[in-house]
Amino acid sequence: MAVFDTPREAFGALRPACVRLTRAQTAENVWRLAARLAAVSGPALQELQEYVLFPLRFALRAPGPRRERLVQSAVRCIASVLAATAVRRPELLRELLSELCACLGPGPGPGPGAPAPPAEDVKLAVTEALHTLLHSASGDVVLSLYQPSTLPLLGFAVSLLLGLAEQERAKQLKVSALKCLQVLVLQCDCPEHQPLGDDEAQQCGDLFASFLPGISISLSRVVTGDIKQGHKPTVSAIRLFYLVVGLVMADAQLARVPKSKEKLPEKQSRISELMVHRGPDWSKSTAEKLSLLLHKMVEFSSVHPHWKVRLELVELVHHLLRNCSHSLGDSFTHLLKALVGLVNDESSEVQSRCNEVLRGIAEQRIIAQSRALADVLSENLHSLATALPRLMSSQDDTGKVSTLSLLLGYLKLLGPKINVVLNSASHLHRLSKALMQVLELDVTDVKIVEDRRWGCEGALQPGVQKGRCQKKYFRFFTEEKVFQLLQQVCRVLGYYGNLYLLVDHFMGLYSESATYRKQAAMVLNELIAGAAGVGVDVLQEREVSPNVDDLKGSVTSILDEYTDQANWYLITSIDTEEVSHEQRAVHHTGLPARAGGVCSTVLLPSPEPHATTRTMNSNIWQMCIQLEGVGCFAAVLGKEFRLLLLTALYPVLEKAGDKTLLVSETALGTLADMCEACGYGSVQLLINDNSDYLVNGISLGLRQLAQQPRASRVLDTMLRHSDASLLPLVEDVIQDVLSTLDQCYNSQASTFLRVLHSVMAALVQWFGSSYSEEQQQQSTEYQSRTSSQGPRAVTAQGMERFFLDYVRQKQMAEGDVSDTGDEEADEVPHLGKPEPNNCDTEGEAPLPSHAQLAKDVLERCIHLLSDRSLRVRLKVLDVLELCVMVLHPHGNHLLPMAHRAWPALVTRLIGDDPLAVLRAFKVLCTLAQKCGDFLRQRFSRDVLPKLTSSLLSQAPASARAGPVYNHTLAFKLQLAVLQGLGSLCEKLDMGESDLNKVADACLIYLSAKQPRKLQEAAQSVFLHLMAVDPDRTWLLLTETCCPHGYEPPHVSLRPVKLGGMGRQRHELTDNVLLLLERLRQRESAAQESPP
Amino acid sequence: MALPPPDPQFVLRGTSAAVHTLHFSCGGQEPDVPILFSGSENGFIHVWNLKTHRVDTALDGHGRKSVYCVETMGDKTRLLSQGRDQRICLWDLAEGRTAVTDSVFTENVGFCRCSLLTVAQGRWLMAMAAKALEEVQVLELPSKTSVCTLKPEAGAKLGMPMCLKLWQLSSGSQPLLLAGYEDGSVVLWNLSMGKPLSQLACHQEPVMSLDFDSEKTKGISGSSEKVLSIWSLNEQQNLQVYKTHNLVNAGISDITIRPDKKIVATAGWDHRIRIFGWKKLKPLAVLDYHTATVHCVSFSNHKNPRERLLAAGSKDHRISIWSIYTQT
Repeated sequence: MAVFDTPREAFGALRPACVRLTRAQTAENVWRLAARLAAVSGPALQELQEYVLFPLRFALRAPGPRRERLVQSAVRCIASVLAATAVRRPELLRELLSELCACLGPGPGPGPGAPAPPAEDVKLAVTEALHTLLHSASGDVVLSLYQPSTLPLLGFAVSLLLGLAEQERAKQLKVSALKCLQVLVLQCDCPEHQPLGDDEAQQCGDLFASFLPGISISLSRVVTGDIKQGHKPTVSAIRLFYLVVGLVMADAQLARVPKSKEKLPEKQSRISELMVHRGPDWSKSTAEKLSLLLHKMVEFSSVHPHWKVRLELVELVHHLLRNCSHSLGDSFTHLLKALVGLVNDESSEVQSRCNEVLRGIAEQRIIAQSRALADVLSENLHSLATALPRLMSSQDDTGKVSTLSLLLGYLKLLGPKINVVLNSASHLHRLSKALMQVLELDVTDVKIVEDRRWGCEGALQPGVQKGRCQKKYFRFFTEEKVFQLLQQVCRVLGYYGNLYLLVDHFMGLYSESATYRKQAAMVLNELIAGAAGVGVDVLQEREVSPNVDDLKGSVTSILDEYTDQANWYLITSIDTEEVSHEQRAVHHTGLPARAGGVCSTVLLPSPEPHATTRTMNSNIWQMCIQLEGVGCFAAVLGKEFRLLLLTALYPVLEKAGDKTLLVSETALGTLADMCEACGYGSVQLLINDNSDYLVNGISLGLRQLAQQPRASRVLDTMLRHSDASLLPLVEDVIQDVLSTLDQCYNSQASTFLRVLHSVMAALVQWFGSSYSEEQQQQSTEYQSRTSSQGPRAVTAQGMERFFLDYVRQKQMAEGDVSDTGDEEADEVPHLGKPEPNNCDTEGEAPLPSHAQLAKDVLERCIHLLSDRSLRVRLKVLDVLELCVMVLHPHGNHLLPMAHRAWPALVTRLIGDDPLAVLRAFKVLCTLAQKCGDFLRQRFSRDVLPKLTSSLLSQAPASARAGPVYNHTLAFKLQLAVLQGLGSLCEKLDMGESDLNKVADACLIYLSAKQPRKLQEAAQSVFLHLMAVDPDRTWLLLTETCCPHGYEPPHVSLRPVKLGGMGRQRHELTDNVLLLLERLRQRESAAQESPP
Repeated sequence: MALPPPDPQFVLRGTSAAVHTLHFSCGGQEPDVPILFSGSENGFIHVWNLKTHRVDTALDGHGRKSVYCVETMGDKTRLLSQGRDQRICLWDLAEGRTAVTDSVFTENVGFCRCSLLTVAQGRWLMAMAAKALEEVQVLELPSKTSVCTLKPEAGAKLGMPMCLKLWQLSSGSQPLLLAGYEDGSVVLWNLSMGKPLSQLACHQEPVMSLDFDSEKTKGISGSSEKVLSIWSLNEQQNLQVYKTHNLVNAGISDITIRPDKKIVATAGWDHRIRIFGWKKLKPLAVLDYHTATVHCVSFSNHKNPRERLLAAGSKDHRISIWSIYTQT
């Protein structure tokens, strides 16, 4: 919009205004001039700069009392001129500076009365003008200002501006003054300024040294001033402070300061007195004073509510550390503390900047190079470590976070120098004691002890779930952040520190006392993680990372310690089964603990009879921490861990089967970690691939009485996760189990039965397919047979055939066999032949190993069937059933065994606890599927009478009973018998009289008075009976109740009279009708489908 | 009170046949893993890695006939094995090879283990039962040239040689052979003359195994009876019974003196390994783990005494590894 481009035109335009202003110094005239100025272009104005400035300066110097408005407008106008032009004459700069400064001071002397200080507006305008002035001066011109000769003028300006910054209340003015001051000390941060050369900087440094006391004190007052002044002045003051201090105290400059003061020319001697010589003495004393100020400032601003202030503090530390790390050595105690403390500032900007700065410091190896700083840091660390326990128990969580982040920061900053600290015994001692104290766990929670793992079916999920740490509860803090910090502290220690030293030290603590054990283990775990560089956040790379062998060495020694009997087998529950076994084992053997051996006499921590909840909780946590450690080691070593599986897998698997929920969960997590580390896709694969190691552990474990339950548990777990390919190994170890069992039927039977159960279950699973197939085949066969046998529709021909058959059979029965003799003779050898053949071939072939195993187990089961304890008997029955399933395809081995087992089984069936009867009945059903013929007679002789009589005797009771009856054992027994009896009859292909017995016994259960379930079960019995002999069943049912009459097809036949005809509806009616209907459906279905 | 006997440190499974012979090779430098060779009834020689406790390789060179002797020649890359196929095979196992480089046809139907003695770098003497029933033949390896044939005098009625031990008083001196015979006597042979130096009837039954300590010039032999016999060799090179030790159960299938000559281990038909002090034959321990006859015992030659092991192979297909150095 410049209208006047040439100086001539501009002059024409400006002249009147200038003249007018010169004549009458009024604000209006100034404005007029300013308005004109706006239309003049920059280059043109440059020519006329001094011309235009003259009236304005004149106006400022106008005699008489100062007129605020005039001064303000004049100053503004000057500023606008200066903004558009450049000051090219040093004298002009100097004059303008002093004139403007004069405006800031109280009015010149001559005015009457007390010279009032200028108004704020004026001051603001003046500071801004000063700012503009210093910017408009070009480089050389500005530098000319910084000569010893101008020192007084500069000093004047500086003190005025400081005064403004310190005393004024207006925020804007303060900021403006500080900004102006910043420019004045040549530290402006706007881009136009070129950085000072070394010599120039040195020169300026010399000059500003004179102002340093004033500047620093005033600024520190501003910084620590009223918080209400807002953050901007504080920020600017901090910045100015570090810029000035950084310039004057710069190491680089101080190093170049000559020993003695330079002699200045004579005429400047007065001025030279003002000059400061920055010699060693001076710098030392100044540093001391600055240290005080810095301390105060840091204290104040590190907790300043506004983040920008804290950010600026970070910058301050950064700047000073970079420039004055020597000269201000002593101050760094506070500075670093502040810096490190701010790492965890709540503002992310501060945090990230702080991290950046720290990283920068570390990368430049400022600490590493300067012994002084390392000393300062280790000193800080030591005092912090000393105070740590106290702080940890007294501070709240926020306090702890800040204390710990401070600790962490020190460690990170020290970096590789940590070892210097660690090598000092007292440092290490304090640090570790502090960690031990802080990490103390809260072991009062009863729930941890109470939480049990029930059942063992879902022990290991097939998929890999990442092992994660269990949430721990600490005595002295609750916040997760605190724990994370502690974790980082340990990891950083491990990362930089001498691993051997640290592991050794903490292992010492681990074994030193039980109170430290958990904490030490926790620290050890983290140390290893840190040493491997897992999850460590550090500022600088370490020089040498430990090689895998070192790491493995440490891990191996820790692992050995962890899985040592004394540390691995802790009492975690008062589970009667486990503890009593273990304790009993100890009593039984009375083995003295063998010191030092390679393996395993049990070194149970002397069985405390009254393990308190607290100790058990503590033990559980120790277990968890150790397990987590194993997982962590695996993660650290990766594939290298495979070698350690030899020692580690077995103990972990042992714990995976632990009854305490927390322990088993953690162990599962560890297993998952191991899988991942060693490159196995699933826990199953892991177990499968290393089952030789496990088998070894199991086999050795079985040799120790006290270890047997655990070994069997591992075997159990192993079996559930392996497949048939492992049979040779499994076989091997099962032989061990059996021989061990043979040695101690009394004490350990239940333990081993569990194993045998899982072995047999596994065998059924691996080899059982043939069994189930066969079963299916059988049933289909059976169905086809029955359906083909089923009587046809009652046609005349059918009836005729029936009667012919009947007559012939009757003749045969009466001994009249003349006709049919041939036929029979044919049939008998035909039937007889294949059987012995069959037997021979099967008998000759060696039994497959799994079947042999089943046979061996079955053998033991026979012995144990009459064990005193009911639990054992029940378990045995279960195992027996599985054995039968496995042996199923090998009839000629099964039958002799069944024969041997029979007497004991019968005793279970007829004279035992109802629970045992129930199971025994199940076994019987399974057995019946294979050895039908074999069992038929025995069953009808030994068992059936007892069963039917008990059914009959119980019937009235169940008919009377209320709904609670459904939960009684008697009910369950009835139900089981009724449910099983039908199929049993069918499988055993029982004779007529037995079927009658069964039917009679079951009929009363069709009563509507019986519980619903029993009725249904009884129905099922009849449905099975229908399958065996539909006609008889029909007759029996119709005897009870017959819904419709039957017309004889021919008049020559007598009318049919059935017992149930014409009876009233009674309790059995409903069920019988239902069954008859089902029977009718069956018959018609059989009719429709041709055989 | 005596400490209870320890458990095996580890049990190696997977030979799937009775184990007849064991031989350690642990002398290698650090990166080398210690190795145990086992020869089993199904003709396989298994190479066990003692770090992972797993089979590294299985060598098949005896036509599925029982292997009853395995020895290394020098380092673990050269192996000698003897099997019931009447062959003695020399193996080259360097760089993972599994090749039979040479073999000797013994024509002997017995199960007398051969005995190997290093006479110089790359030169060995090997004594083995020869084709003729009572004879022992000594060969030089690897050239396979016959050094001598030791034939008892007519009418001596020694029976078949059952066990052999080549030894020399000090390296470079004259090698001698101790042989145990079917009739229970032990004979010391001079190889250069091919004459027996001394004969001692130690047992009533065939000598099943013997070992000899050339430092103390004292030997031990076991047979199928309940007696261990310790005999010594005096300056006149006469064998004398020094002591006998009665056992609870009859039958010793293998005897080994530990390389440091402090203890002796025996493999018993009673499924047990027995450890004795060598000096006075004081019984130290009975190691009970196996469930069938123990066929062989062997001590490892690991450089670090703490890592030295004892291995025993048994008919129950297992090899038990024991660490008994820490105790004695």
